[in-house]
Amino acid sequence: MLRKRLLALLGLLVIASMTLVACGGTDVPAAPSVETVEVIVTEVVEVEREAFTTPHPILSDLKVRQALAYCTNKSDLLKSVYPLISDEARAGLVMDTFIPKSHWAYAGDENVTIYSYDPDKGRALLDEAGWTLAEGADFRTNADGDELSLKFTTTSATFRQTWAAIWEQQMAECGIRIVRLHAPASWWFGDTTGIARRDYELGAFAWVGQADPGGQTLYACDQIPFPTNGWEGQNAMGWCNEAASTNIKLANNTLVQDERIAAYTVVQQEFTKDVPSIPLFNRTETFATAADLTGFAPTPGQEYYNYNVQEWARPGQDTIILGFTQEPASLFTLVEDAFVANIAYQIVRPAQEWHLNYEFTNSPITKELPTLENGGTTNNDVEVSEGTKVVDVNGDVVELAPGVTVKNAAGEEVEFTGGTVTMKQLVSRFEIADGVTWEDGTPVSSADLELGYKIACDPESGATSFITCDKTANVEFLTDAVGYIQTWVPGVQDPLYFVPVWPIYPNHQLGDVPAAEWATNPLVAETPLSYGPYKLVEWVKGEKMVFAANEHWVGGAPATPNFVIQFVTPESAESLLLGGEVDILASESLAGLTQALVDAEAAGAIKTYTEAGGTWEHIDIQLFIR
Amino acid sequence: MTVFYIRRLFQMALVLLISAIATYTLLNFAPGGPLAGLRQIQQTGRFQITEDDIARIRAYFELDLYLPYRFMRWFVGWPTGPVEIGGREYFSDVVVGCRKPVETEVLNDDGEYEIQVTGCNELVYMKDLTGRRVSRGIIRGDFGLSWRLLRDRPVSELIISRLPKTIQLIGLSTLLSLFIGIPLGIYSAVKQYSRFDYIFTSLAFMGSAMPTFFFGIVMILLFSLIPKEAGWLYVPAGLSESVRGYTIPLLGEVAAGSVKDRILHLILPVAVLTIVNISYYSRFVRGSMLEVMRQDYIRTARAKGLLERVVIMKHALRNALIPFITIVVFTLPGLFSGAIITESIFAWPGMGRLYLLALGDYDYPVAMAIFFIIAVLTVIATLLRDVLYTIVDPRIRLS
Amino acid sequence: MTADSQVATLSAEAITIEERTPFQIVLNRFKRHRLAMVASIVMLAIFGITIFAPVIAPFKIQELSVNKYFAPWGTVDEETGRTHYMGTDNIGRDYFSRLIYAGRISLTVAILSVIIAETIGITVGAISGFFGGWVDAVLMRFVEFMLTIPTLPLLLIISSMLLRNDELINIPDPILQFMGNILLLSPRDSRNAVLIVLVLAGFGWLSAAQLMRGTVLSLREQTFVEASRSLGASNFRIIMRDMIPNAMAPIIVDASLGLAGYIVGEAALAFLGFGIQDPVPTWGNMLSASQQFMLDRPWLPLVPGLPIFICSLAFNYIGDGLRDALDPRLKL
Repeated sequence: MLRKRLLALLGLLVIASMTLVACGGTDVPAAPSVETVEVIVTEVVEVEREAFTTPHPILSDLKVRQALAYCTNKSDLLKSVYPLISDEARAGLVMDTFIPKSHWAYAGDENVTIYSYDPDKGRALLDEAGWTLAEGADFRTNADGDELSLKFTTTSATFRQTWAAIWEQQMAECGIRIVRLHAPASWWFGDTTGIARRDYELGAFAWVGQADPGGQTLYACDQIPFPTNGWEGQNAMGWCNEAASTNIKLANNTLVQDERIAAYTVVQQEFTKDVPSIPLFNRTETFATAADLTGFAPTPGQEYYNYNVQEWARPGQDTIILGFTQEPASLFTLVEDAFVANIAYQIVRPAQEWHLNYEFTNSPITKELPTLENGGTTNNDVEVSEGTKVVDVNGDVVELAPGVTVKNAAGEEVEFTGGTVTMKQLVSRFEIADGVTWEDGTPVSSADLELGYKIACDPESGATSFITCDKTANVEFLTDAVGYIQTWVPGVQDPLYFVPVWPIYPNHQLGDVPAAEWATNPLVAETPLSYGPYKLVEWVKGEKMVFAANEHWVGGAPATPNFVIQFVTPESAESLLLGGEVDILASESLAGLTQALVDAEAAGAIKTYTEAGGTWEHIDIQLFIR
Repeated sequence: MTVFYIRRLFQMALVLLISAIATYTLLNFAPGGPLAGLRQIQQTGRFQITEDDIARIRAYFELDLYLPYRFMRWFVGWPTGPVEIGGREYFSDVVVGCRKPVETEVLNDDGEYEIQVTGCNELVYMKDLTGRRVSRGIIRGDFGLSWRLLRDRPVSELIISRLPKTIQLIGLSTLLSLFIGIPLGIYSAVKQYSRFDYIFTSLAFMGSAMPTFFFGIVMILLFSLIPKEAGWLYVPAGLSESVRGYTIPLLGEVAAGSVKDRILHLILPVAVLTIVNISYYSRFVRGSMLEVMRQDYIRTARAKGLLERVVIMKHALRNALIPFITIVVFTLPGLFSGAIITESIFAWPGMGRLYLLALGDYDYPVAMAIFFIIAVLTVIATLLRDVLYTIVDPRIRLS
Repeated sequence: MTADSQVATLSAEAITIEERTPFQIVLNRFKRHRLAMVASIVMLAIFGITIFAPVIAPFKIQELSVNKYFAPWGTVDEETGRTHYMGTDNIGRDYFSRLIYAGRISLTVAILSVIIAETIGITVGAISGFFGGWVDAVLMRFVEFMLTIPTLPLLLIISSMLLRNDELINIPDPILQFMGNILLLSPRDSRNAVLIVLVLAGFGWLSAAQLMRGTVLSLREQTFVEASRSLGASNFRIIMRDMIPNAMAPIIVDASLGLAGYIVGEAALAFLGFGIQDPVPTWGNMLSASQQFMLDRPWLPLVPGLPIFICSLAFNYIGDGLRDALDPRLKL
């Protein structure tokens, strides 16, 4: 395929030069032939073989995978990338399974197999697996004389180059040759290349931390991408363990925390037993601010570090400057989900919930989150019959029909054969706090919430995922209060049911704009109306976003009247902070603690904060070959 | 002469067309694209991506259309649907793309298994194009909408926001380095193997061997961070203007966004670019000068008893500048494309940075717009060069 | 008559006494250029050090220790008693050893690229400028076309193809073995080294071609060319004997300045996925690795930067010397 493309490309160049020679001729683009070669609309090509069904000759052996884990010295890897943080801080970053040790869902050391650094054990396992080290040789070979050599793929980021160099050395000490490939991120994370096409033997990347551990698409058996299922799913390793698969689904589809913990424990047990992936460590999040900045309080587990932006202040300054190394593409957060866009959006439209210290609470703009405990949500029994939209045991939204397996109200899996079945249905009442007002003085109303729901669920809007809309049976907007009652589809037992899903949009300003035009509308994308502590005054493209205090903010006047987001570059960020051009650099702008920052802090010029982030680095093992 | 220009313009148009096709094709085959990273977001109960979602997003970015149609729509803003002649629609059933390609594992010619696109689950027809958003075409001056950097808003807005600052930076540093570099090069050549020549040659090579980021950061440290800490006169470490006013020893109060503020911010990036350019320009002038100085006609001029200054300025320089023209005219596309590293180190909001972001973020409409404009400027620069040759050296004929 | 014949015999004797081959003449002229000689000696020394790198280097290139984060110059390794003459990098690898190993690869790649690029450039430029007309139009429009093609996506495509299939581009085994032996590289890396040379040269010849054409255009009209032509010299002879030697000045400058560019450019390719990647050191990738520590340790780029600087300076002087030595008009 690629060869064909290359030929086509070369052909194109030849044609191009030939046209030049002719100095005239036709200007028929050569491209058509390229493309017609590529997409032949035909079904006659015989499927020769199902891809990814042949076990990997080396890595399908559990002993080899365990040996890889035993030979990995995670604390040395950490030392190489975070040389300037304390040993204790580093110890807290090591991961033994896919959930960090301090997380409520962590199974506990006694329930998982911990592969602490033990090269001797690793070597013994390799010997057992038939990979022996010949006299004087550097790398192991098997009975056929093949060398134990594995391709390791990751991005060319310096961070990964650094720890990969250490890891390569650690593997070499166990007699395993690692051939490192540092691919461009565009290839590694591409839509039709790299991980998405399972194009690796050993592959390193990171999962970005989220409020909830999740994991269903990562470890369930039906989430393995194949050419035949359109490459859906994120279990690119091809790991299928029945117990783990059932329990990861359970953990993501039950409301009771204890049940979730039990289910996650089973998954972690199986995960560490099978070693389909070697978890390495959590990344750190580093923040640096001007030394006299007050109110800045990054908290573990927070989604947005600027949740309390109205409290930030510097003595004698009427403006706080936050440096961004990336400019938001748009403030229409339904289509633009970059972290920086969300941070900027928080300032004008704070989220309805906060997630601090791994706990959800309501933000100043909402009343109490509707949980089962406080009565805001009820989990009703409901009788459903054929044709009703329900969520089946796999978590898919389907119409109830004979043959569909659902979970009934008693928690048993039953196959629907006709008649009715009693299922669980969640109904939650979400309410906005009193006095939340748009910057132009109009109070936020239920109509604004309704507009948010309407746009978020309209495929024309350009949004990416509509899963929450599909899983919602009915939404009723309140007339006596600002809020709505959301009724989920029977069978939805989403543990995060109490977290509001949809945004709030100003109905009086945008109510008439069709969904298809939202993404291109500057009122949506560039100057969203604020109900937050600041309003957006001006966005100078490529330079800065200027905010001013919103007098209608429900939380009172912010501590500093002006706020500016200054766009900088990764290369310049540190020197601009040290030079006083910006006051705050957050984790998305700082790769980690550097000597310059440490020195400046010691000299009293700045203040730094380092905490464990949710993003974790790991090496995935491809269990099958193409 | 007129014939030459007509033929030349025709050739230029052809070069542009071919380079547009080639670049467009290249970007489409390059890994990445607007869907890159989408599958790397962990999916949860709140966020899930199905095959339909992928198909919808591909269609949103026109990736479901075959390349020639996509190119045509970008280049000339056509086709926009079936052709309507006399109330009847033609070509409405022509297949123009595929929404859901089917991939299967097949045996290739070399006896290896490969995953290939072997079919299509959902075709796109010409009639489906009706009502889709489309640009008026780049040749009519519409660069289309940005994919990522300024999502769904015009590319031209993005370019206009960066262009003035780039021209400021590059223009100023090019002028400075020409004004400094050419005399230095001449002097170096005239005093070949003098102490000045040695020192200067070494410095020039230092300029070419050390990367721009080295000069940039050393200058930030030397002229901004260290003096600032010591309470001496300093210049800002980066950005094109400050947000807050500040006070600099000796210069006093500087208001944010004032002319003084902007000039102060220009100093370091212009200085770095100038250093790097001077070394290149002056080496060039020196080399050409030396070559010309030993030509017969210079010897003749000297033999005639002309003043050395006249010989150098009138006879030698003119000829020495001929190869130099090539280099100078190509600063024209440079004016537009900016300087990636310098802009990054000084957080200068210019085109170089934009170009890097457009490629890094797979914003291909922006990248294509920049390429196309640079291509236009490059061919214009080439024409300009050839015309200048004939002016500087009348013996060179354009034919 | 007799007087004339005497003079003729005399001068014939004079010539026979000092008879030297053209090579000797050039060599003697070159020797007179003192700086060029110094530069040659410096380059020979650098070549010598890099050739004997395995003997000289106290450490292996991949030997590392995370506990030696930026050890200072002259630190002695406690276990083995070896010295880190230039300290260590961020993961404890010996700078000095890596630097001299790196020289092998960087110099070979850069010199080969320069030679290939300048040869192509000179040929294309000379043909284009000398013949003019449609030849010129086609060649120069092609150069123009190449200049408008963005390199970054093109390189990304090539690298993504190579990632999938190392064997995609066939390179004869002898070349690979040869490169592997010179550079002490694995077959895969030496294949990459060859590819890098091709890519660098493939994009590098454009400026040389344009420069050459510019110079040839002006030379074409000069009297000595007309003289050659009237003497019946062939086009080939005119290009080789009159054009190229006379147009060497800008080319030498371009080449010696370009040398540093190629060394750094090779590192940029590594970042795109198909250069010679870490742990194999090159001056280029050592230089770009120093960037992230620039603010902490601003002198760090000097370690790989100085050899690049010294080499390009040396090449410049050698180039100067060669030009003088080869110049047909310079009399001794």
